[in-house]
Amino acid sequence: MLLVLSEEQKAHLGFLPRAGGAGKLNIDVDTVQHGVEGLSYLLTESSKLMISEIDFQESIQVLGFSDELNQLLLQLYLDNRKEIRSILSELAPKLPSYHSLEWRLDVQLASRSLRQQIKPAVTLKLHLNQNEDQTAQVLQTDPSTLLHLIQQLEQALGEMKTNHCRRIVRNMK
Amino acid sequence: MRFRFCGDLDCPDWVLAEISTLAKISSVKLKLICAQVLRDLLGEAIEYEKILKLTSDAKLESGDVKATIAVLSFILSSAAKHNVDSESLSSELQQLGLPKEHASGLCRSYEEKQSSLQDRLKACSLRLSRLGSVCWRVDYILSSSELQDVNEPLVHLTFNVQDRVRGGTAAVPVTLSADKFRVLLSELKQAQALMNTLL
Repeated sequence: MLLVLSEEQKAHLGFLPRAGGAGKLNIDVDTVQHGVEGLSYLLTESSKLMISEIDFQESIQVLGFSDELNQLLLQLYLDNRKEIRSILSELAPKLPSYHSLEWRLDVQLASRSLRQQIKPAVTLKLHLNQNEDQTAQVLQTDPSTLLHLIQQLEQALGEMKTNHCRRIVRNMK
Repeated sequence: MRFRFCGDLDCPDWVLAEISTLAKISSVKLKLICAQVLRDLLGEAIEYEKILKLTSDAKLESGDVKATIAVLSFILSSAAKHNVDSESLSSELQQLGLPKEHASGLCRSYEEKQSSLQDRLKACSLRLSRLGSVCWRVDYILSSSELQDVNEPLVHLTFNVQDRVRGGTAAVPVTLSADKFRVLLSELKQAQALMNTLL
């Protein structure tokens, strides 16, 4: 598929041929900034859509650059495509993810209202990561609920081994 | 194969893989590296440069140095966690392929610090909140807007509670009349008597 550049973006990228070569750029700050923005848009959109070489070349044809510059841009795109895609993949919104779990097993022996008890309880502190923020959730459960929880989680893991999931995983690879 | 120092479970694959890296270091240097790792586990500062110097002879890459620290950290803390004695640890490590001198050097370092390590792990265990201190004051109310002659004592208590969940200390002030305070005191004394039967 072809990348469609707006007139404004074409104008921004128009500064590139003038900026060729090392040395001082005799161009004002705004033009340079627009040029950089235009270039980064070109690269991120191409990487995002995984445009093929031919499509990329045809898309930048409209800018009317020299063949040398076109080749340079193509090489830039191909060299950095993978890295740009990995950075873009991290920008997707994320749910809090598991970091670590602390737990403690207690037994309640007595309270103000009742002596001679035996009441076990498991206290959990679930550490979560969300966009570099660390939060913690404190939960408490009795052993039978904990066993039920473990059973449910093992069932969930077991789902991966069913034929239905296996078929999907195979097709994704 | 089940290992006591892994909590009667299989040894993790990565630990197995790093045992061969440990064998590359001389047993004397390994004991010194163990001492450094134990410092870190006990909450003191680890001297990374010393470890780098000790591993330089074995020509380990930086990734291998970090892996060495990680595997020693795991072995020592996991053995302390499951209260494994030093001879059992030595024999289990030899079963995993660690040479005898390396295993015995490591276990000697472990044995020296086993109880401090266990104390430290106990202190790091999950706690939700902790009472820091209690301040008190006894007042005597002479009179109030409701009654001219009150003449009653009043106890002010401030509990300084450390919140382990969110961090920080909170001060909880409470005032009690003499009767309420007597009830609180007797209930707490009963709880203390119960705790003493368990110690």
